[in-house]
Amino acid sequence: MNVAMDADSLATLKFGIGQPVPRKEDPTLLQGQGRYTDDISLSGQLYAVIVRSQVAHGRILSIDTETAAAMPGVLGVYTGADLVAAGFGLMPKGLAFKNRDGSDMAKPDQLPLTTDFVRYVGDPVAFVVAETQMQARDAAEAVMVDIDPLPAVTEPALAVEPGAPQLYPNVPNNLILDYHYGDAEGVAKAMSAAAHVTKLRIRNNRIVVAQMEPRSAIGEYDPATDRWTLRLGCQGVFGMRQMLSSVLGAKTGNIHVLTGHVGGSFGMKASLYPEYLCALHAGRALGKPVKWTDERSDSFLSDSHGRDHDFTAELALDEDGKFLALRLNGFGNVGAVMSNSTPQPSTLNAVKNSIGVYRTPLLEVNTKIVFTNTTPVGPYRGAGRPEANYYMERLIDTAAAEMGIDRIELRRRNHIAADAFPYRTPSGNDYDSGDFPALLDHALALADWDNFSTRRTESRKRGKLRGLGVGQYLEVTAPPGAEMGGIRFEPDGAVTIITGTLDYGQGHATPFAQVLSNQLGVPFDKIRLIQGDSDQLIAGGGTGGSKSIITSGGAIIEASGLVIDKGKKIAAHVLEAAEIDIEFSGGRFNIAGTDRGIGIMELAAKLREGMQLPPDMPTTLDVAHIYKGAPSSFPNGCHVAEVEIDPDTGETEVVRYSMVNDFGVVINPLLVEGQAHGGIVQGIGQALRERVVYDEDGQLMTGSFMDYCLPRAVDAPSFAFDAHSVPARTNLLGAKGCGEAGCAGALPSVMNAVVDALSEFGIRHIDMPATPEAVWAAIAAART
Amino acid sequence: MSKQHVTTTINGEPAEFLAEPFMSLLDALRDEMHLTGSKEGCGSGDCGACSIIVDGRLVCSCLMLAVEAEGHEIITIEGVANGDELHPVQRKFLEHAALQCGYCTPGLIVATKALLDRHPNPTETEARYWLAGNLCRCTGYDKIIRAVMDAAAEMRGVTA
Repeated sequence: MNVAMDADSLATLKFGIGQPVPRKEDPTLLQGQGRYTDDISLSGQLYAVIVRSQVAHGRILSIDTETAAAMPGVLGVYTGADLVAAGFGLMPKGLAFKNRDGSDMAKPDQLPLTTDFVRYVGDPVAFVVAETQMQARDAAEAVMVDIDPLPAVTEPALAVEPGAPQLYPNVPNNLILDYHYGDAEGVAKAMSAAAHVTKLRIRNNRIVVAQMEPRSAIGEYDPATDRWTLRLGCQGVFGMRQMLSSVLGAKTGNIHVLTGHVGGSFGMKASLYPEYLCALHAGRALGKPVKWTDERSDSFLSDSHGRDHDFTAELALDEDGKFLALRLNGFGNVGAVMSNSTPQPSTLNAVKNSIGVYRTPLLEVNTKIVFTNTTPVGPYRGAGRPEANYYMERLIDTAAAEMGIDRIELRRRNHIAADAFPYRTPSGNDYDSGDFPALLDHALALADWDNFSTRRTESRKRGKLRGLGVGQYLEVTAPPGAEMGGIRFEPDGAVTIITGTLDYGQGHATPFAQVLSNQLGVPFDKIRLIQGDSDQLIAGGGTGGSKSIITSGGAIIEASGLVIDKGKKIAAHVLEAAEIDIEFSGGRFNIAGTDRGIGIMELAAKLREGMQLPPDMPTTLDVAHIYKGAPSSFPNGCHVAEVEIDPDTGETEVVRYSMVNDFGVVINPLLVEGQAHGGIVQGIGQALRERVVYDEDGQLMTGSFMDYCLPRAVDAPSFAFDAHSVPARTNLLGAKGCGEAGCAGALPSVMNAVVDALSEFGIRHIDMPATPEAVWAAIAAART
Repeated sequence: MSKQHVTTTINGEPAEFLAEPFMSLLDALRDEMHLTGSKEGCGSGDCGACSIIVDGRLVCSCLMLAVEAEGHEIITIEGVANGDELHPVQRKFLEHAALQCGYCTPGLIVATKALLDRHPNPTETEARYWLAGNLCRCTGYDKIIRAVMDAAAEMRGVTA
């Protein structure tokens, strides 16, 4: 049977899985037509400005709002007491972990706005609403907050000491969680019996997320329907609505969350922040929409920070360099207030991700999660995954140097073999697939590893030190969870995907449409995506942990199957055939063995026009499905960084960067490569430039882009990128999450390269960020 | 404070608006002229998200007062494309997927246009230094630089 390919089928191939399809939203964004929250102006909209604590710790004696309230244009000045009086409840308590003794972690009650103590510089204490932004800003300056200052503590190791300032009366020693995982006895035995133990203290520096779009929200309330509406940038409207429900004491059906374009987030915008509740409260109190948009100077204080762990890492090896045991002991600084995933990065994610691509039979992780008088710490690209890989990879390079074993050879001796899958790690993960030795070889070839000495000699002629570093990572991504797969055939001939992940730059609309186009043969350009309207969702896990293509992609595949099931019934009726004889392929329902059939778009059009159907027949092809989710995926790869250091200034430049990644089945290589690039430069930023600094009083010293060194175009290298895909066996697409992998490869490869360049001075370790000052000081100290 | 009347040219069209003396040109563009393509990323001239071209010069509109626009010619992101036809720089950004969240993108497009209007044949290093005033947290800059070099070649009539 020869059936000519119709235009729809050809379009499907062009936009099929694996094609580098440009992004659907780009013509809009490239012309400045994006609709980020602050670009929206609602009729009658008012403006809110937040009043924040200027001290890191203290008791609130009084908040005088009278002067501000009398200023021109001011319609309301509110404090935490007003929110309590209005019935606003406690902030969500987030994840639950157990202490080593089995007891629950501490979870102090936290109001949206504090009423008794301030605990960090930037802690919101009041807010002003006025007719214009400028009026609100002026009046916010006039709110008099009288605070009796208390001593502050910013370092977790100091915060747990006896006599340290206490942030919450019911959290002794500021210790939220005394976390333990693993076989302590077995690890101790292995350590004492080992031929060699490598030990490093590694600081995981605190990072400002610095997404380019400051947070913004517009709050409204409609008394006629008793409905709240919140417009904001977030990482998933379904989960945001759930969190709002608990604080507002409202049913989820009475809350509408809307998200348009989101200008970056990297984990940070996933949390429910107090400012959103302020906008909602004022929206109800004043009967008008209230917009709040952060200013960058406040963003540095009020957006959750990332990282900030302090670990002592130990690796035990036998005389041949075989890994025997890994132990991490340290602290996770979570700042002054819990965010919704606060304890996870330095506990569970350290456990899961420190194992990486190596056979290490024994693992122990001990983490003290501690409050300090600093900005709350939340998830940031990888949320503990890249850092755990970093700890392991630094240990391996150090052990190799200490034992006189080549660092590549040491990795090869310990790789999990390509035929070892499924492989159960001591962290309880079941790796399904991978080829770690081959990835290492592939990356070394791409990086021209063998000819490095020629390049080092050339650098030396110019007075530069040159170093080469490898970072082989494996991340445990895509935490399992349910996700909506909705498919709707619209009156205008479009097909809408409805799902509850939410992209803040990833470009979901395109790969999701590629998946749908592949499954149903629907033309790519007819496919739209709804992701940011909570009224449209029956489930939604949001985006985070590199999971969107796995959860939403899987949801779309299952939903497509249901569309086909419905379509076969209807097509059988239309074609006057038995349902069992209907086959679906290439976007057409055909009677098997004949050339008679009907295309899915044509069938949808017939249904729209209205046709007589038997009573038991589906009347649309539409599906609203909940996909139960898939197990975690294990993206991995090997990055090779090459740096040049000027020994006179300490300035480090990444001069070559090569990577080979296993992201399983790649839906859209154009987008996936971009995800890797972005993650790597964030990693380079953390490794070489970025660092949050507090003074002893808890004042933020790095509160602007002049003081906080975000990588710019001149700081970033060009990339060599190769794929080495081994399809995942545990999800419908065979995909492995790519979103956070760049950081995971970059931290170890860059820092191993820096240490390699400095090794001639006998330097074995340098902490991130390897700023010019830090590198220069290390060289100077080594020379004396 | 009384508002001042400002007469200017925006994207080739005569434009006038009222501005308070302390209002930034960025706020005037966004709030008075409803041209929301220019973004505020920092308000202090460090990020370049608000980049516009004033009389051929690349400017952070957050650092310029609205009243200073009097009599000047302004190009914003909304004026870069030719109607529905994307400017070569925009098209190359699309082809290379040189944007992710898109928030810094208007500034980068405008800054790139300003570069290529002046220097049609930049080296990669020159392009990186020219664009060093535009922060992007998403892309890692690699695709941006490739798009810029590709657009420059195309605009010079060279096949890349």
